[in-house]
Amino acid sequence: MKTMQDESAHLTDLGKQLISHSLTDPSVQRATEATPNFTILPWVNVVKIGGQSIMDRGRSAVYPLVQEIVDNLGRHKMILGTGAGTRARHIYSLAIDLGLPTGVLTVLGTAVAWQNAQMLHYLLAQYGIPFIEPEGFSTLPHYLMERGAVVCQGMPPYKLWEPNPETGRIPPQRTDTGCFLVAEVFGARKMIYVKDEDGLYTADPKKHSSSQYIPRISVEELLARDLEDLIVERAVLEFMVRARHIREIQFVNGLEPGQLTAALNGEPVGTIIYRNGDAR
Amino acid sequence: MSDHSGAQHVTSNLMRESLMDKTVIARTEAPVSSILPDVNVIQIGGRSIMDRGGSALLPLLDEIVANQAEHRMVIGVGGGVRSRHIFSVGLDLGLPTGALAALSAKDAAQNAYMVSCLLAKYGFVYLEAPFVVQLLPAMLAAARGAVFNGIPPYSLWEHPPRVGKLPPHGSDAGSYLLAEVFGARNIIFLKDIDGLYSADPRTDATAEFIPEIRAQELIDRKLPTLPIEPAVLELLTRAKLARSVRIINGLVPANLSRALGGESIGTLIYQ
Repeated sequence: MKTMQDESAHLTDLGKQLISHSLTDPSVQRATEATPNFTILPWVNVVKIGGQSIMDRGRSAVYPLVQEIVDNLGRHKMILGTGAGTRARHIYSLAIDLGLPTGVLTVLGTAVAWQNAQMLHYLLAQYGIPFIEPEGFSTLPHYLMERGAVVCQGMPPYKLWEPNPETGRIPPQRTDTGCFLVAEVFGARKMIYVKDEDGLYTADPKKHSSSQYIPRISVEELLARDLEDLIVERAVLEFMVRARHIREIQFVNGLEPGQLTAALNGEPVGTIIYRNGDAR
Repeated sequence: MSDHSGAQHVTSNLMRESLMDKTVIARTEAPVSSILPDVNVIQIGGRSIMDRGGSALLPLLDEIVANQAEHRMVIGVGGGVRSRHIFSVGLDLGLPTGALAALSAKDAAQNAYMVSCLLAKYGFVYLEAPFVVQLLPAMLAAARGAVFNGIPPYSLWEHPPRVGKLPPHGSDAGSYLLAEVFGARNIIFLKDIDGLYSADPRTDATAEFIPEIRAQELIDRKLPTLPIEPAVLELLTRAKLARSVRIINGLVPANLSRALGGESIGTLIYQ
């Protein structure tokens, strides 16, 4: 049989290695480092709207935030991803009780993030903002250019293929991670998480009044601290260490008017988690 | 139900809890039940089997058909050399890992579609990921067999790898994850090698065959090459249902039948 090796004259040196070696060979993996990092959408901002922290509060939290998004439409292009929230907590506990595996919990949780994305989409529809499924992401640059924003559900589209967590049954890669991976693959300008806290604390401030506020911290230090609880999924921190484009992520309080706008404008509001060596 | 902070909650064990809290996460440890306990997941290697063409694939498909009455099979298929080629072009263009994952998934889809065409007259169907989620049990009840794209549907959302830019979850990881989520009876990887060796036996005469090994031990040994994706080993350490995988030589007649029959051939990697 004629193989592509006969055509190897057209291949780069890396290409020849990729065809002739095992992809599990570490030398091949290292060789891929020496390739450029093209940014697909360098001007886009990924904004994640929390499920429990924002959407579950209803009008009092969502209306002002929608207005703030609309006010920024001409100035900043945004991919708006949504979290899941209390209905996901309900169906996770029910599904765990029924003995269902993590991959099934992901399918169920995705539906909740989808509901929240639909609701946000209804509120933004009059401005021409579409809702886009993962399968439709190739149309996203067009809508961003034409309308300035799109809405998507934050869960990565892993479905039944979600890996198990180290402990327990809850999907380890949820909406924080899905939005982070979108920002990373497109080489986004900013990754902003809109929640109901001013940022990161040493413990959950809703439960511990002695917790201390952390305005700025490196991802390496945060991982080393191994906190009992976090404002963001641990998978985001793990992926951030290996990321090629996203150098920092920002957490703002969506209940405070103007915080999202400030973050979009590049101001250091809320908490910033940055990668060591990239501090400005 | 509304709390002092204004959020409207649904009552549940996880209500108001942070899902990032380690104590909350630990509370979700509980038994998992198997969804499709009699299904065997069979993975046909892209590079090792498909790229060799009919001489390697057709006898294997005959063997699958011969086992159809006895064993319910879901067949994952890998991408092979076309994925290597598009990795080369994509990397040269500077594209990120997620884009490479989206691109290479089509190579495995092509291979899976060809396999489904060759098995169509025996009732096997090709299922894309959304149909695996919705229709697999119905298809298995009707046909006792289905073919799927081994590469998981991670696409642009593929994890950044620890080293380099190649997508860490290929068709081995995707087939394994499907076996784990359904609680399959077996997961068998068909490759062009008898199993796991301490080094590549094609280039190193001192390479020793390893019939059985724990996933963590294999990770710790840091072998220079492996017959399956390293991601599978990490997934195995966290398995709840699919606690072992078997690698066999798909070029040797009757190997698949023997593995389906429960014989200890090839290499078993277990939790």
